[in-house]
Amino acid sequence: MTATVDPVWGTDSPRWRRRVAADRYVSYLLPLLFLAVLYPLLDLIYWIGAEALPTLSWRTLTTNPSGFGGGLLAPITGTLYLIAISTALAGTVGIVAGMYTAEFASPRVASLGRLGGNLLAGVPAIVIGYFGYFALVLYTHWGMTLVAGGITLSIFMIPYIYRTADLAFGSVPADQREAAFGMGASRGQYLRRVAWPIAFPRILTGIFIAMAIGLGETAPLLFTAGWNFVPATGLSSQTSYLTGLIWLYYSAPTDFGTELALAFQAAFLLIVIVIALNVIVQLIAERYRRRLRGLFR
Amino acid sequence: MSEPAAPEPAPVLSTEGLSVFAGSREILRRVSLAVPEKKITAVIGPSGCGKTTLIRAMNRMVELSPELRIEGTVRYRGRDIYAPEVSPVVVRRRIGMVFQRPTVFPQSIYENVAFGLRLDREEEDAVERTVVTSLRRAGLYEEVKEDLDRPALSLSGGQQQRLCIARALAVNPSVLLLDEATASLDPIATQKIEEMLRELKGEVSIVLVTHNIAQAARTSDVTAYLHQGRLIEMGATSELFEAPREKLTEAYITGRFG
Repeated sequence: MTATVDPVWGTDSPRWRRRVAADRYVSYLLPLLFLAVLYPLLDLIYWIGAEALPTLSWRTLTTNPSGFGGGLLAPITGTLYLIAISTALAGTVGIVAGMYTAEFASPRVASLGRLGGNLLAGVPAIVIGYFGYFALVLYTHWGMTLVAGGITLSIFMIPYIYRTADLAFGSVPADQREAAFGMGASRGQYLRRVAWPIAFPRILTGIFIAMAIGLGETAPLLFTAGWNFVPATGLSSQTSYLTGLIWLYYSAPTDFGTELALAFQAAFLLIVIVIALNVIVQLIAERYRRRLRGLFR
Repeated sequence: MSEPAAPEPAPVLSTEGLSVFAGSREILRRVSLAVPEKKITAVIGPSGCGKTTLIRAMNRMVELSPELRIEGTVRYRGRDIYAPEVSPVVVRRRIGMVFQRPTVFPQSIYENVAFGLRLDREEEDAVERTVVTSLRRAGLYEEVKEDLDRPALSLSGGQQQRLCIARALAVNPSVLLLDEATASLDPIATQKIEEMLRELKGEVSIVLVTHNIAQAARTSDVTAYLHQGRLIEMGATSELFEAPREKLTEAYITGRFG
């Protein structure tokens, strides 16, 4: 059979028609796949919200948990303390290491560093938790403490910040670098005055991802942070945390307590914290990004 | 050859047997030339002749490309700029550079010009005076004086390039190297920069790399012609353009290749 060729488009053959049809199917399929990703997320949030909200009250946020229920004050403060410690540590180490890899290291050392970062990102959280248990709980004789939990969590977060910092410093336009050095800037001055403002919004996004993942982690903390029914009073006291409460109360509810509701409320709070954090980070990053408009051509 | 009328004043910058290698390829072949003080020196030649490499060797910018190897010497007022005790940072303060594409920093106009001064931690009112003078010298002040806090990236390409020149001038260099600094600009912006360079040359020695032969003829006092990494000819611009001594030079400036 000879294909009829359209005199205007010159393209009307069976093969061409198949391509047009395929294009059409794919353009229907993509939104469906998008929904397939979105639906479980929305369903999850709905489910958690429906379980958590009916009994969520101010009292939940301001009282401490008891054996069978109570409030979330101690784990909320614990989670905030832990994430503050681990973000400060992982942020410092990750940014400095990324700066070193992108700007100072020889190509061989840099690729070694990147490999190390990827490997660390691939280590299961529970293994990092175990490492923290041996290194920070047993070896130091600290016992389980807030600071041991924070440090262990920071080891888990470092690769995410390190990777974005490395990429962010590495993608500063070459002409900015040349211009700074052409002005007689030293490397330190270049990094501080030129590279940092350009890299910062991206690094901030990396920090946010690390924080979001860190907020949701349980495994690095199980053997390191301990447990506490009241808010931690210092770096050396044990602490509770929201994910720990979920794990503890969801897995073994009594039939007379309110553990299940409390676990859902803790989960709901975690989601709220992550969303709020995202909004704040994006607002800050956008302010910095606006100054960079027109730079990446 | 013309008679040596007066003793040549000492050059501000000179190269002796300067070669630059990329692996085994020789980008620059034993170039010896002298850049006269407070004049405009044009470096012309076909693409790939090494003119950019030449001026990048003049303030140690070549060292930012680790694959390049340098032989020979470059002297600034008689001092070897590659001597081990000399810091590239210091060299680049004395010998500034402006690039083909404007490279403003994502900051305000004011902060851009103040960049080099801040590196020296100067007093704020001294910084402010120098920012204004430098913008004037670069012929940009009248266009931007209303709002020096505007983001520099909001300026037009030609304005951005003059801002880069102002930024380079702010640290008061003796030599200004311009690497095809007007190549990405329209004719009017180019003309403004050429006018400004002519006014500047009483104060600063300028080396102008350009692939625009007419620009070299219009603006420079001395012209060097480079071909395949070799310095073919160097002399007063009027002489070089009217009566080139070398066949290659003649062929290039009359447009037979390039």
